[in-house]
Formats: sequence, C-alpha cells, structure tokens
Amino acid sequence: MGQHYDAIVIGGGHNGLVNAAYLAKAGKKVVVLERRQVLGGAAVTEEIFPGFLFSECSYVVSLLRPEIIRELDLPRHGLEILPLDGTFTPMPHGDYLWRVNDHAKTIREIRRHSRVDAEAYEEFSKMMVPMCRFVKPILSMIPPDPTTLNPRDLKQFHFLLQRFRELSSDERYTLVQLMTMSSADFLDQWFETDVLKATMSASGIIGTFLGIRSPGTAYVLLHHYMGEIDGAFRSWGFSRGGTGAISNSIASAARELGAEIRTKAPVAKILTKNGRACGVVLQSGEEISADVVSSSVDPHLTFENFLEPSELPSDFLESVRHYKFRGSSGKVNLALDSLPNFKCLPGPGAHLRGAISISPGMDYMERAYDDAKYGHYSRRPYIDMVIPSLTDPSVAPPGKHFLSCFVQYAPYKLAEGTWDEQREAFGNNVIETIAEYAPNIKDIIIGKQVLTPLDLEREFGLTQGNIFQGELSLEQLFFLRPVAGWAYYRTPIENLYMCGSATHPGGGIMGANGRLASQVILKNWKSVPFRSKAVN
Amino acid sequence: MPLGQRVVFVGGGHNALIAAFYLAKGGFKPLVLERREMVGGGAITEEFYPGFRASTLAHTVGPLRSDIVRDMQLHRFSCEILSPDPRVFAPTPEGRALFFHSDAGKTAAGIANFSQKDAAKYTEFAESLESISEVLTQLTSITPPAIDKPSPEDFWNLFKTGRGVRRLGKAGIFNLFRWAPMAVADFVAEFFETELLRAVIAARGIFGNALGPWSAGSTAVLLLRAAADPHPVGSASFPRGGLGSLTRVLAESAKGVGAEIRTDAEVAQIHIKNGAVAAVVLKDGEEISAEAVVSDVDPKRTFFHLIDPSQLDPVFATRIKNFRAKGNVAKVNLALGGLPSFSALESNEQALRVLSGRIHIGPDIDYLERAFDDSKYGDLSRAPYLDVTIPTILDPALAPDGKHVLSVYVQFAPYKLKEGNWVSRRRDLGLTVINTLGTYAPNLSSLVEGMQVITPEDLETCYGFTGGHIFHGELTLDQLFTMRPVLDWARYKTPIRGLFLCGSGTHPGNGLTGASGANAAREIIRELR
Repeated sequence: MGQHYDAIVIGGGHNGLVNAAYLAKAGKKVVVLERRQVLGGAAVTEEIFPGFLFSECSYVVSLLRPEIIRELDLPRHGLEILPLDGTFTPMPHGDYLWRVNDHAKTIREIRRHSRVDAEAYEEFSKMMVPMCRFVKPILSMIPPDPTTLNPRDLKQFHFLLQRFRELSSDERYTLVQLMTMSSADFLDQWFETDVLKATMSASGIIGTFLGIRSPGTAYVLLHHYMGEIDGAFRSWGFSRGGTGAISNSIASAARELGAEIRTKAPVAKILTKNGRACGVVLQSGEEISADVVSSSVDPHLTFENFLEPSELPSDFLESVRHYKFRGSSGKVNLALDSLPNFKCLPGPGAHLRGAISISPGMDYMERAYDDAKYGHYSRRPYIDMVIPSLTDPSVAPPGKHFLSCFVQYAPYKLAEGTWDEQREAFGNNVIETIAEYAPNIKDIIIGKQVLTPLDLEREFGLTQGNIFQGELSLEQLFFLRPVAGWAYYRTPIENLYMCGSATHPGGGIMGANGRLASQVILKNWKSVPFRSKAVN
Repeated sequence: MPLGQRVVFVGGGHNALIAAFYLAKGGFKPLVLERREMVGGGAITEEFYPGFRASTLAHTVGPLRSDIVRDMQLHRFSCEILSPDPRVFAPTPEGRALFFHSDAGKTAAGIANFSQKDAAKYTEFAESLESISEVLTQLTSITPPAIDKPSPEDFWNLFKTGRGVRRLGKAGIFNLFRWAPMAVADFVAEFFETELLRAVIAARGIFGNALGPWSAGSTAVLLLRAAADPHPVGSASFPRGGLGSLTRVLAESAKGVGAEIRTDAEVAQIHIKNGAVAAVVLKDGEEISAEAVVSDVDPKRTFFHLIDPSQLDPVFATRIKNFRAKGNVAKVNLALGGLPSFSALESNEQALRVLSGRIHIGPDIDYLERAFDDSKYGDLSRAPYLDVTIPTILDPALAPDGKHVLSVYVQFAPYKLKEGNWVSRRRDLGLTVINTLGTYAPNLSSLVEGMQVITPEDLETCYGFTGGHIFHGELTLDQLFTMRPVLDWARYKTPIRGLFLCGSGTHPGNGLTGASGANAAREIIRELR
C-alpha cells in the first residue's frame, strides 16, 4: 500500500479540481488523479498543430460560478475572461442576423427582419431576467429529496415554492413554460422571424439528444441563457490562453492550497472495504489509500468500470444503466491561414469576434435532428463556431487563426459503419456546410482536428461522447441527477462521492458540482472512520 | 345565486351531459344547447354509409370514471358495454402478432414467443402502472389548486394526493418524477426489448397529440391515460350501438333529474354585461337569459368565437391564443362487404375473436416516429399510425348482415398542410389508410363498399373541434393540471363572471372519462351556491 490521503479525487477536469481545491482549503490532504497528461478534462487546451492552441472540447465560458472565482481567487492564478460579443447567423439567401451585447443595436438589427419581433425581443429580454434570477440559486443548491419529510428538505422545497409564489403571474406562466415546453413552441409564442427563433432555439438542444420541437428543450435554453460574467447576465466569453487556462488556474489555486495533482495516473479500480471506499488502484498497479474517494468522472465509469457489480445494490446499478448519455455532438477544430469570408457580410469585422451560428431556420434544425434519430450525422448540421484567435492572439501564430466548430447532431450510435470509418466524411461534411456560407474556408485550412462522439469517449473519458456527462433532459435534472435518490453527491458506497457534471446542476464550465460536492463531503467527514486526519 | 336558476350549457358533449346531471341534482336548472341534431359531441353514432353505422369519432370509452357511472345510475338504462378480449391485436407486416388480453399472465404468454425476458417484465410493468394509476386517478379527480390563495380544500386534496404518493414508496415516487417528462420511447425501452411490444405501449403516449415516441413528455400522456385505465394498452370497450348510445344514456340520466336538453340549438354568441354573462344568443336569434353559462366547447372557440374579444383581459387572451390546439388526427370509417383477413391470423374463428378489440398498426418505434416526422413539416404521414376497430364483430346490428364496419383513427394528419388543402387531400388520406392496412390485410381494398373520411378540417367544421384537436388542446406537460387550459384559470372558472368551462380543454381532459365534466360541476355548484 502506497501513501495515505484524506481524499482522492478521480479526474482532473474543472469539477475535480474545484472539488480538490475546496477539500484542500478545508485542510484535507488531497490528491487529484488525472488519466491524461494534461489537466482540464473537457476544459482543456492543447497545441495540436505547432503554434495553435486548440480548446479542443469546451470553447466558451459563461456559467463559471462567481463564488468560485472569488473564493479560490482565480484571477490571481491567471484566470482572465475575454468577452465574446454576440451571435452572427448567416442565412443561405445572402442575408444574416447579427445579435450583439449592445441591446439597442440588436433591437435595430431585429427590426430589419421584423418590427413586431423587435418589440417582442425587448419584452423577452426583460422577462428572462427574473427567470434566470429564479433558477440561479438552484444552481448553487444541494437538491432536496422529495421523498423524505425531513425538515432540511422540506425547508428547501418550501423555499422554492415561496420564491415561485413571489413571482408575478406572468413570470410564473413563463417559468412553467420554460420548465416544460420545447424551445420551438416557447419561442413561437414570442417571435415570427424564422432565423431568429432558429438561432435562439439552438441553445436549447446543446448536449441533449432532443430536437428543438421536443418538450424539455426550453429548460436547456434557459440553462444556457443564464450565462454570467462578472455579474453581467447572459454574457459569454473566452478564457485567455484557451479554455484549458481555466482548469490550470483552478489547479494552481488547488496546489497553493496544498492539493497534490498527478497526471498520467489513470485509475483502474476503486478499493472498498466492507461497503466503504478506502482508496484506488492505478492502472500501473499502484495502490493509493484514502478516507474519501470523490469521483469527477461519469456514473458509468465510476460504478460500472471502477467497481464490481457485487459491490453495489442491484436497483442502483439498474438506475445507472438507465442514465442516458447518448452523445449527440462532435467537434471540428480548424487551423486557418486567414479568416473565413462570409458571402452575406464579406471581409473581416466584429461579426467574426462573436459566435457564428449555422442555424438558418427552424426546419433546418429539426431536420438535422431527424437524421440523428435514425443513426446518421446531420447532413446539414447545426454548427456553433468561434474564432478565439481574434480576441486572444496568443492561441494562434501571428496572422493565423483557430476556428472552433461545435457540431450537432452526431449520434454516438451510428446506423451504419463506425465512427472511425466515418470521421473523415463527418469532418468534410461540416466544412462543406460552412463553405455554403463562407466559400473560402476550404482554401485556408492548414490543420484539421475532427472529434467524433467516439473520440470524446476515448480521449476525454466522456461516456458515449456526451459533453455534459449525461443528457440535460428533465428526467435527469435536479434531484434526479444522476440517479434518483442519489442526487446529493453521495453514493451507496460510504465515503465514495460524485462531483462531476453528471451531478446537479449539470454540465458546462460551472464548477458548482465540485463545490457543492465538497460541502457534502466535509459535512459528512465526521462519519469517516477513526483513521481520519481531519485538521479543522 | 338562489337555487333553481338556469345554467346554460354550450355544447352537448359527454362532459356537458355529466356536468348538467350533477347541477340538476344540485338543485339547478341546467339547459344543454347542442348545435347538432344529436347530443354526444365526439361520442356519437352516425350512419356514414347507407345501412352502415359507426362511432364516427371516438370508438372506445375511456372508460367513464366509476363514481360517475354510479351517481348517474347508468346500469338502470339499456346500455350494454362490450369488452372484447383480447383488447388489442398488433400485427407486423411479416405476419407475426401480439395479443393484449385483460389478463396480464395470458398476454405475457404470447409475448414469450417474442422474448422470454419481456414476458417476465410485462407483468411487472402492468403492476407498476396499476399502482401509479391509483395516485393519478386521484389527481384527475381533484380541482387543480390555486397557487396564490390555496383553499383549505386545496390543502386537503394535496395532502390526500401526497399520502397516495407516499404509498408508492421511495422508488415509486422517483419513478413518477422520472417517467413523466420522459420520451415514451425511452420509457418502454427501460422495460422491453421487443420492438412491436414497445410500439404498442408507446402509441398510448402519442395518441391524439403532436408528439412522436421520441418527444420528451410523451410518457406523461401515457400515464394520464393510465389514470383512466391502468391496463398497459388501455381500454378497448365500447357500448352496443356505438358511442352514441352511451351519450344518449347520459342525456337520459341527466333529463331524469331535471336537466333540459335541446338539440339543433347552435349558440352563436354569449352576451356579457359588465364583466358577467347575461345570456346566450342562438343562431336563429333566440336569446336565452342565463345567470351562468358553462362551455363544453374548446377554449379557443369559447373565447374567440362566442365572446366579443373586447370583453377579454388581454393577458388572458394571449394565453388562450398560445394554448396549443392544432390537431394531428383524422378518422376514416369504412363500410366493408366482409371481414378482412389478416395475414397474421390463421383461422376465421381466431379472426372473429381477436379482431373484436382494437387493432394497432405501428410495428416499431421508428415507424411511429417517422409517421410523426412527416407531420412536423406539414404533410400527412406516408405510413401512418392507425388505431382500428371492427365494432360489427360484437355488434352486428351496426351493419347489414355479414357486412362490417372498420373504423380507423389516423395519425398523423396535420391540421395545417404545407401543400394543398384537406379538400384536395381527402381522397389521398383515405387511400393511404387502405394501402397501409393492405400490408396487413391484403384483401381489404376489395371489400370496401363505402368510405367516410373525416379530416382535421372536418373535425373543426362539422364537430366543432377548433384546430381539429380531439382533446381540445395538446396534452403536453405545459398544458396539464394547473396549466390546463392556462395557468391561473385551471379551476373551471374564467375571468368572466358566471362563465365556466367543462370540456376536454380543462383538467384532466384525458379522453372519454367524464372527469372534466364532473370536476367542473363540483366547482360550479360551489361558485353558484
């Protein structure tokens, strides 16, 4: 048996690091075990082509909890968020829709498409503020258990009910709709402009295997709408040096607080002694013992790979098997010799500095989904592009650029062939799609990285390639995430905890999961056996 | 208001008849005004072709809530309910088939031919549905609580429901939370591996709605239907003489306790004086004063066609406007020269037995989903999902000797077509159905003597379902319980004093159960007393 720790954190993604940082902050002796040679999990930046720093998976930040930035003093550790201004949606017939953070400007732009919608957009923006206000505290809340009558849980439900009743009738009406409707139906009530609805509804499907017309997507819309940077609502941004810089700043904070971080240390098994987690075995065979094991990887890996079925209650295992991943998206990262040139708005300009969304119409989005339902990647996918190198030159050589393309849909399970056979075709299809709007794209590519759902699984340990460690569908949220009855970061195995995106409040670079998990772990520390060296 | 005063019902559907019964019993003088020559609304029997009668629209009962049957003493009237077994026969194009009997064990035996695993699971599934349905039945029979000022009764109801829920146990409660928002395709996949079995059960979650099996929230619809009948595939029973004889009996029962019913009396307008109903005006100009008006027609018709819109609070009007009620269902009734022979059945004897219930056409989940896909883009399903009955097997009187009636629910047929209109596509729709059925019963087309096609447009114009929606509005999560028809107005009252709703557009609105009518009556009586 090697050395002994108070806590082992499996996985060096942003949540694992946040979790470790807070445990270390509480004086625990913590080690983070990361499988890969780089930290960050899906919030990672690597030099794939010389001079090009690719944020391979996650490419924008928005939901990173302000309290974490504060409490871990991340700016001092190098975190710097650069604003991402607006969303540019090119349209096939040569027009475009360009929304920016400057509200008045956006309203003028929308008026170009429809006066009615311009007015509705004002209303809509006003209405979304109380909606986000309502949901935000839930993001920083340990989900209550609806099946018990214990005061703590009842208090929380009462708190939610009270806040709901404090809303105005209109606010309630909208909130209930956001929680239950499809983003398409929801937006249909507000707007008439097809492209506006399409590009807005897009954020409702990210990370889910749902179409914009499927109920439940309105919530995901809200989830992404809640973006906040320095207290400014729904603003998205880049991290200087790429998304990986966020993870690195958290890692640096964790180290400073005394946490030990090991890379190239893939875990093979979680060790248990009569129903209690007591350490892990690395693939190298090295054993590390600890009082607490906190897993930031998804339930499938944690419970089906690192543990024996015999170690878990069968009904729990059953629920883990029912937990839905089914990745629906891929990533195409391009190293560009120069900037893409859009037919509808030629030349370089501010429109390239924000998100560029290929979502020209509602039917376009829905048809993209139809392909995926039957096991094919979308012939014409929804693509969310950003060019970080315009805002942060440090990620590409001078004059050259990094184009990051998030692509949906790309179903993990293909009807025909394997992803290894279809990777090339998938990548080319994405480039073809972009070329319809920016024909020069084909000539300026000097490097191409295509990540299929299978690659996300293999490379980054995202089971079935789901970027959120499990679908953000209503039945997998709040007190149902990841497993009903076990949504409180605890597991049937004592001293084994979950702290990844598969827990409440879900995916995105929030860190809330890791932070909330640390609270639960520390609260239960007393229940840790005699050998605990708790120093607080 | 003093008792003995007149309450006028707009529309004579089953919910109106039931509500009228309870009001009459409560000492009021209900007057039901039905536009057509017969009461029943969507539950009627008509001669659709010389000598052939069918339940033109609804072809099976919910069934009615037992307390309603008891209160209205329906047993005292001549209305025999035929309950075929098997309830559902589900063939595949390859000539295999599943039979769903009332007895789970018997059904499981048949499922075993497809999968031992599923056979074992089926009974477990039937049981969990059974236990959950108890709670749901309770939910469907209460009035949705007021959010701002819950009444003591609301608390009592919630408490009772809460107790019922807790009886499900931890696992049961979580299942309820988890299942409701799920896609029904995921739901059935958690239990079964056989595609056909999955499809038959999943179909219940999409019936009547603009949902495919992969649409999240479709499980909620299935559970709602399960509240009426917990059997995995639902009810297949229908009254002798068609649904019309049931509503006729409801009418008799209501009359028996003093309700007045007038047919051929189309309400053209509801008069409102300073925020309260004053009278209803019939098409022929006759004005009938009323202290209270109860509308059994859908919310959109009630507020946008029968009322001067300027009388409506704009916020409320917007919400009603947003109430999603675009139908996706059509009905086709065929007059057949003989019994079609299904390739999945050997003998005629077997046929007579197993075809007497519902016939499910939709062999796998993808089939149902593709049927839905077409409708999303405003087209009729090329291969539609069909819910079929041949009532004449148990009730020969509906057709001439030896001949048969085949009545088909067709999904999906969108109210708004992208190309053409329903006048030009009507034939198209009929042929699609005959061809689709042809793959399972090759000799069908040769048997067809007459055909009635009821398009979503007909559902609106002839039967008064605005938007052609048989449930008066989508049964999706955002339009259920406290949100049906709209938030703040889910308690059968409306912003207009003395105007109430009692139709399927109110909670629970889950088919022919009478729950909406009975719940409404309870609230109306409380209000008027």
